[in-house]
Amino acid sequence: MAVDSERLRRTMMFVPGNNPAMIKDAGIYGADSIMFDLEDGVSLDQKDAARYLVYEALTNIDYGDTEMVVRINGDDTPFYDNDIKAMVKAGVEVIRLPKVESAAMMQRLEQKVEEAEREFGRPVGSTNLMAAVESAEGVLHAEEIAKASDRMIGIALSAEDYTTDMKTHRYPDGKELFFARNMVVHAARAAKIAAFDTVFSNMNDPEGFYRETRLIHELGFDGKSLINPRQIEMVNEVFTPTQKEIVNAQGVMAAIKKAREQGSGVISMNGKMVDRPVALRAERIMKLAKATHVIDEEGNYLGK
Amino acid sequence: MMTTMRDMYLSDPMTMRQWKEFLESQGIQEFRSGEVEPLEETIGLFDEDDRLVATGSLAGPILKYIVVRHYDSEHSALFNRIVGELVARLAERGVTHYSVFTKPRYIASFEHVGFTCLARVERGGLLESGMPGIDTYLEHVRDLGGWQASAAIVMNANPFTLGHRRLVEAAAHDNEHVYVFVVHENRSLFTTDERLRLVCEGVADLKNVTVVDGGDYLIGFAAFPAYFIPSSKDVIDYQTRLDATLFRDWFVPALGITRRYVGKEPYSPTTQVYNQALKDVLEPRTKVTVIERRQVGQEPISASRVRRLIAQGDVDGLKGLVPSTTKIFIQDHLAQLQMRI
Amino acid sequence: MDITHTATAGTLESSDIQVTLAPGGDGIDIDLTSDVIKQFGDQIKASITQVLHNYGITSAKVKAVDKGALDIVIKARTVAAVQRALDIVDQPKWEVL
Repeated sequence: MAVDSERLRRTMMFVPGNNPAMIKDAGIYGADSIMFDLEDGVSLDQKDAARYLVYEALTNIDYGDTEMVVRINGDDTPFYDNDIKAMVKAGVEVIRLPKVESAAMMQRLEQKVEEAEREFGRPVGSTNLMAAVESAEGVLHAEEIAKASDRMIGIALSAEDYTTDMKTHRYPDGKELFFARNMVVHAARAAKIAAFDTVFSNMNDPEGFYRETRLIHELGFDGKSLINPRQIEMVNEVFTPTQKEIVNAQGVMAAIKKAREQGSGVISMNGKMVDRPVALRAERIMKLAKATHVIDEEGNYLGK
Repeated sequence: MMTTMRDMYLSDPMTMRQWKEFLESQGIQEFRSGEVEPLEETIGLFDEDDRLVATGSLAGPILKYIVVRHYDSEHSALFNRIVGELVARLAERGVTHYSVFTKPRYIASFEHVGFTCLARVERGGLLESGMPGIDTYLEHVRDLGGWQASAAIVMNANPFTLGHRRLVEAAAHDNEHVYVFVVHENRSLFTTDERLRLVCEGVADLKNVTVVDGGDYLIGFAAFPAYFIPSSKDVIDYQTRLDATLFRDWFVPALGITRRYVGKEPYSPTTQVYNQALKDVLEPRTKVTVIERRQVGQEPISASRVRRLIAQGDVDGLKGLVPSTTKIFIQDHLAQLQMRI
Repeated sequence: MDITHTATAGTLESSDIQVTLAPGGDGIDIDLTSDVIKQFGDQIKASITQVLHNYGITSAKVKAVDKGALDIVIKARTVAAVQRALDIVDQPKWEVL
């Protein structure tokens, strides 16, 4: 698992790799991650053009703290090698491989990435990886995929191809994705990387979008893939911690601070020991609270 | 508005109906087979509710039926997407030069995306874009010999007959140099390459005659898209005048065309209209000379008469109608030609 | 290096630029259509020329239709057009990026 596994990854916004207007403005919506797409969002005859456009954007546009991800073309396409080279040379933070079905696929990618890092003088290990599972095979191998490499930062479910593979399609209640979502989120937790849910493409159904986002939040996903910037605020709203969660987390943080000041290795609160998962969750809730501006600098609750 | 670009397969009746209904709702009423059949690809932009909001098609290197929903606030963005996608698809086929025929009021929209207006008349205009353009084409023709002044004949020659030959002879006799432009289109019985070859062979002995491929510019006025002309009685006037205007504004100055020769067509009203349009538009700078047709038997020599004989397999009947070069070609390819009919 | 055939890259959509390259010409001859030609015409042409020079191309006919492209977009589209015109789409010249 890669470092910074507690980084906020609530929203990963898909941006078609051959669209200059969208690439130019991608940073202004406040997504936690931006995913430039070289795969499905780019027609076959424009793969080369999109690759250069994304390269130029990554090397010249300042997207601030946003995590920059590029979805390259699959390893069974003629675009795979050049996509890897160009994106590694551009210094992208994360390469996302689509249609992953095994750990071996990720390891092949890792090897190619390392070769490219050496070729272009990038520090070896500086390019992170993530996988998207889009088939029954991929879902069943979610755990080995999530643990395939130290560079892994996340695993995503891509439901469009997955439901086709399963001889079904998407339904409003999401029952058809129940198993896959659980597999993906378990794999992510076991590997200590992030879990990303699939896109929701019907922009005329905000109700359905909220319902699905609440569901994946309950399941424990880190965030959701998005195709429209309007969805960012909606996801953040669902992921905003409640006042009760925040007060509790503030207590945990205070207990940690106190234990540190006293030089104590054991952290306790309300007579109970605060173990690592509790501490991490508190940290995460405070991060979310700050990111969604429900507390001020001093930690005062401002309300939603 | 989020829109999705999709291929529209007009061979599918449902798609065809959707496409037609959209165009009709935007004021396009003309779907003659001559207009629709040449369409090789059609694309559509659909909104979030899956309604068609813009469309465009390709017929060879010609962009056709480009229509964007009226009063759409994103009208120009949708227009640019359609044109851009069509151009990208042409590029994918290796076609880097393309043109469009449109209503005068849309000429500016095309100019805004890099098209150059080559000719415009009351009811429509012709624009081109990409490379190489008309300047390069005319430069190439000029470089064939660099004659100061020339006469010109534009012919389809489907196939080259002794009637055509007489026209060329007359022009060659009266002028220092003659260009014979062979119309570039492949809907004829004889392909462009075959027609070019037979014209070249048929005038090989005339030393002051240069045979030239009409390229993307001389494609026969009847091939000019006219689906956007509301009244069918105006179509021929628009087509012939646009063709004549293109010739006057580009060919005449670039090549120093002083005379244009045409054959008299007593039985073809459209040719009579065309000849009149040429006179109206080209004269006085370029004189238009009408040459009487040569008669053999009871009727004048014409390419259509030759094609009838080919259909009947009557090679002997070609005698006196075509030069030996054309006759030999027909003899050698009779079965093949008959298959195409 | 010489361009072997005509090639194009880019779209006519907002913030993009469509660049078409053709063999021929004496030097780099750029025909530019742009709403901002007065303010940025020279800069756009310079960006295109720079990419061509990076590929060692000294003569080409260029047609560019600008829709308000950033400099990086001009560069990316020109690179794509050159790679296509040189028939090296599958073997990018990495050092030029």
